Amino acid sequence: MHPPAGPAASPGPAAPPAGAELLRWQWQEVQVPCLVAAWILVASLAKIVFHLSRKVTSIVPESCLLILLGLGLGGIVLAVAKKAKYQLEPNMFFLFLLPPIVLDSGYFMPSRLFFDNIGAILTYAVVGTLWNSFTTGTALWGLHQAGLMDPGVEAGLMDFLLFGSLISAVDPVAVLAVFEEVHVNETLFIIVFGESLLNDAVTVVLYKVFNSFVELGPAHIHATDYVKGVASFFLVSLGGTAVGLLFAFLLALITRFTKRVRIIEPLFVFLLAYVAYLAAEMVSLSAILAVTFCGICCKKYVEANISQKSRTTVKYTMKTLASSSETIIFMFLGMSAVDTSKWAWDTALVLGTLLFILLFRAVGVVLQTYVLNRFRLIPLDRIDQVVMSYGGLRGAVAFALVILLDRDKVKAKDYFVATTIVVVFFTVIVQGLTIKPLVTWLKVKRSDHHKPTLNEELHEHAFDHILAAVEDIVGHHGYHYWRDKWEQFDKRYLSQLLMRKSAYRLRDEIWDVYYKLNIRDAISFVDQGGHVLSAAKLALPSMPSRTSMSESSVTNLLRESGSGACLDLQVIDTVRSRRDKEDAAMHHVLRGSLYKPRRRYKASYSRHFISPDKQERQDKEIFRQNMKRRLETFKSTKHNICSSKSKARMKEKGRKKKDISLTSDAPNGRTHRSVPWQEAAPVLVMVSSEEEESDSSETEREDDEGIVFIARATDEVLQGKATPGSLDVCPSPCIIPPSPTLAEKELPWKGDQADLAVYVSSETTKIVPVDMQKAWNQSISSLESIASPPGIETGPQHRRFACPVLEEQPQSASQAMPEQISCFQFPSHVSKSGRSLSDSSPDGVEQQELQPLMAAEEQGRALPPAEPRRLMFSRASHI
Amino acid sequence: MGNKQTIFTPEQLDAYQVQNKLNGLFYRYRDLAPQLVPLDYTDKPDVTLPYELIGSMPELKDNPFRQRIAEVFSEDGDGNMTLDDFLDMFSVLSEMAPRDLKAYYAFKIYDFNNDDYICKSDLEKTVNKLTRNELTPEEVRLVCEKVIYEADLDNDGKLSLEDFQHMIIRAPDFLSTFHIRI
Repeated sequence: MHPPAGPAASPGPAAPPAGAELLRWQWQEVQVPCLVAAWILVASLAKIVFHLSRKVTSIVPESCLLILLGLGLGGIVLAVAKKAKYQLEPNMFFLFLLPPIVLDSGYFMPSRLFFDNIGAILTYAVVGTLWNSFTTGTALWGLHQAGLMDPGVEAGLMDFLLFGSLISAVDPVAVLAVFEEVHVNETLFIIVFGESLLNDAVTVVLYKVFNSFVELGPAHIHATDYVKGVASFFLVSLGGTAVGLLFAFLLALITRFTKRVRIIEPLFVFLLAYVAYLAAEMVSLSAILAVTFCGICCKKYVEANISQKSRTTVKYTMKTLASSSETIIFMFLGMSAVDTSKWAWDTALVLGTLLFILLFRAVGVVLQTYVLNRFRLIPLDRIDQVVMSYGGLRGAVAFALVILLDRDKVKAKDYFVATTIVVVFFTVIVQGLTIKPLVTWLKVKRSDHHKPTLNEELHEHAFDHILAAVEDIVGHHGYHYWRDKWEQFDKRYLSQLLMRKSAYRLRDEIWDVYYKLNIRDAISFVDQGGHVLSAAKLALPSMPSRTSMSESSVTNLLRESGSGACLDLQVIDTVRSRRDKEDAAMHHVLRGSLYKPRRRYKASYSRHFISPDKQERQDKEIFRQNMKRRLETFKSTKHNICSSKSKARMKEKGRKKKDISLTSDAPNGRTHRSVPWQEAAPVLVMVSSEEEESDSSETEREDDEGIVFIARATDEVLQGKATPGSLDVCPSPCIIPPSPTLAEKELPWKGDQADLAVYVSSETTKIVPVDMQKAWNQSISSLESIASPPGIETGPQHRRFACPVLEEQPQSASQAMPEQISCFQFPSHVSKSGRSLSDSSPDGVEQQELQPLMAAEEQGRALPPAEPRRLMFSRASHI
Repeated sequence: MGNKQTIFTPEQLDAYQVQNKLNGLFYRYRDLAPQLVPLDYTDKPDVTLPYELIGSMPELKDNPFRQRIAEVFSEDGDGNMTLDDFLDMFSVLSEMAPRDLKAYYAFKIYDFNNDDYICKSDLEKTVNKLTRNELTPEEVRLVCEKVIYEADLDNDGKLSLEDFQHMIIRAPDFLSTFHIRI
C-alpha cells in the first residue's frame, strides 16, 4: 500500500549472478503489489477480529479500533525497522483511497432526502466551513500574538489561516464511519454527512488560496488576489459539479448501449466515475464534488439500463472498495502518527486548536441553525444542534492536506502536523466513542427503519401532485414546483435519451415476467429444501398465532444455525399475516407503476451493509408466501392427526396469553392490526372453519362481557363500547400507545419485549381488561379451531369442538397457573378483572370437580347456554 | 402599503391568515385573467374565474389532481374560483393552518363523490390518476382494498374523516409535505 516507499524499503544485497539458476529471488519485482496486498489483508483480518466480539464493536467504533491497531503496528514497524515506514501518503490517499469512498457515498446517497435538505447542507458546508476556518485561524493567530505559544512556532496570520482551513473541514470518511453506527435520524445524518461531502470545495479552495498566499508572502498579496480567491471558489465548486454531471451523463449514455456486452457494465460505472475524479483533480476542480454528483445523478439511469446482475456487482464491488479503503485509511492514519520525525509538539497550539474547533463549530452551528430555522418547516432543535456540533469529526483529509504542506514555505509545518494528528485522533477516538452515549443520553430521535404503509406511499405521491398543482395555481415557484419541473423534464427528455427503450417503456412487463420467474424459482427452491422445512416445523409449536416471546428463542436458534433455508424459514415462522403479505404485494404493484417515479428512497446509507433492493425483497416475499402456504397445508393435516398434544398446547396457550396481553395494549385493537398475530389467527388457520369461529367467538364475547361488567364496574363504559364486535370503537388517539413500528410488524421478534412491558405498566388500568378480553377471544377461538377438525361446518360439530375446549380449560387453568403468576406483570387487581380463566386460579379445582357434571349436561344442551353458566360460576368466585 | 389599501379593506386583510402575502397572491390571481378581475376589491365585487382558465395553465397540464383541487376549493364545487377561494386554498396549505384543517382538505380532495367518505371508487380514481391508468383493474382493486384495510378503523369498508385523520397523524411526513411556503 505504499508504493513511494518501495525501493527504499529493501536495499537487498545484490548477489552476483552465479550462472544458471533454478529459482531466482524476485522480491524487488513483486514488492509493491505484495505490500499492498499484505496491508489490505492485515486490515481486513483485523476487521474480522474486531467483529468477533460484538460487545467491543458495539461500544467502540471501528474507526477507533483501526487507528489504535495502526498505532500498534506502527510501533512494531518502528521497533523492527528503526524508522517509521508505511505512512499515509497524500498522493496515495487522494488518488486511490478517497475516490471509492466518495463514489460510494454519492451513488448510494438517498437523493430525495439529500435534495430536500440541500439548503441546509449547502449553508453548513459553505458558510460553516468558511466561518470555522477564519475564526479558528484568527483565534490561533491571536493566541500566537499573545505569546502563549512556543517561540519555535514561526507562523504568521496566513499560516494560521491556512492551518485553520485544513483543520476545520469536517471529514466525510470519519463522519460516515462514526455516524453509521450511531443511527441518528435521517435528517440529521444527511445534514452532517452532506456537509462533510460538499465542504470539500471550500476546503480545497481555501487551502489553495492560503497556500499560494503563504508562498507569495504577505507583502506581495494584492487585492486582486482576494477577488481571485472568491472567484476560484465558484469555479472550483461549480466546475467540479459540472464535471460530475458531464460524466454522469456520459455514463448513463454508455450504459444504454451495453446490451450485448453485459459483462463489462460494472466496469463502466467505476471507470467513468474514476475518470471524473481524475479529470476534476487534473484541472484542480473539486474532485470530491465531481464524484459525488456523478454518483447521485447517474444512478437512476444506470440502474435502469444495466442488468440485474451488473447492478448487484456494482453494489457489492462499490461497498467492498469503499469499506476496504476506509479500513486502510484509518489504519494508516494510526501508523503515520508514530513517525516522531514529523512531530513538533506545542501544548498551547494543540490545546488551543482543540478548544477552538469545538467552540467555533458549536457557535457556528447555533448561529446558522438560528437563521436556517426561520426557513425550515421542521426546525432543527437544540439537541440536533448539539449532535451536529459534536459530530464534526476531522479525519484523513486534514491529515493528508497538512502532510502536503511545504516545509520550506510553511515554517511551522511540524507543529501543524502534530496538532492535526492530535485533533484527528481526538475527534475520531474521543468524540467517536462518546457520541453514541451522548445520542442515547440526549434522546436524539433515532432513525426508524420502517416500511411505509401503502397509505403513506399513496398519499405521499398524491400530496406531491396536489402541492405542485396548488403552487402552480398560486404562481409560486417553490420547491415542489421545481421538483415537478425537473420530473417533467427528466421524463420527457433525459429518460428518453439516457434510458434504454426497453427499460423506459416496458418496465411493467419486465417486472411481470420477472415476478413469474421468481415464483417458479421459489417453488423449486421450496421443493428442494423441503426436508429442512419439515424438520424445523416439528420443532415449532403449531399455532400460527404464537407470538414473539416463545418464538424468538426458536427463531434465534434457527438464525444462528445459519443455513439459508433456515434463515428464511424463521422469517416465515414469525407469522406474517396475510395482510403483511398482501401489503408487500401491493407495494410491489405500486412501486412498479406509480407514475412519475418520485420515489422516496429509504434514507439509509451504510457503507458496509447493503439494504435489499426491490428485487431482493420480492424474492423473499415470494419465497415466504410459498413457504407459508406449505406450512399451512402441513398444519391442517397435522391437526387432524394429533389431538394428544393438547397439554402442550394448553401450556403454550398460557404463554401466549401473556404475550398477547403484552403486545396488544391498545384498547381498540383494531387500530393495531400491525401486531401480526391478531390477524393471523382468524385468517390463516381458520380459513376452513370460519363459520364456527364466528359463532363461537360470539358466544364467548357475550359471556366475557358479562364478567367484566361485574368484576370491574369502571370498565363498564369502555367495555360496552368495545365488545359488541369490538369494531366500532371510536378512534381515541389519547390512549393509543406509540404505534407499533413496522419493523415490529415485519419481524415480530424485533418487537422489543422490554418496551412492551413498559407500555403495559404505564397504561391506564382500564385498558388492560379490554385487550385481555380480546386476547382471550383470540386464544379461545384459535384453540377451538385447532381442537376441531377443519372442514366440518355443520351444526352438530358445534358441540364437538365445544367439548374439548370445556374439558381442557380447567386443566389449563391449573397447569398454566405457576407460569402465569411468574410472568404476569399486571397489578393484581387488573389481572383479576381481566377475567381470563387461568387468572381465576381458585376456580380451577372447583371447576374440575364440576366438570363431569357440566360435560354431562353438555351432551344434551347447546353450547351457548352452557357457557355462561360455567363462567357465572367463576364470576361468583371473583366476587 | 398604500397600494394595499386601495385593494382591500383592513377587515378583509384580517380575515385571511396570509395577510402579508395577500398582495402578491392577489396579483397572481389577477394575472390569471386581467380582463375579469378589477383592481379594486374594497367593495367585494363578485368575480369568478372559470375553471377553464385555471385548468388550462401550462404548468398544470400534467397534474393529475388539477381539476379536483379546483373543485374542492371552489365554493360552487365546479372549479370556478373566486378570490376568496383562491386565498382559502393558499391558507390551508400555509404553515399556520392547523394540521386538522389540512387533513380535512386532503380528505376532501380524495373524496371524489363528495359523500364524506373515501370509498372504494374514490380510491380507485386516486390510484388511477397516480399511476396514469397503467395498472390493470384487478391490481387497482387490490391496492384499494389494501389501502382501505390498512386505514379503516371502524371496518365499514370506507374511510371516514376520522380514519383518515388518524392515519395521517401516524404518517410522520404529512406535516412536512402538505405545505407551501411563499
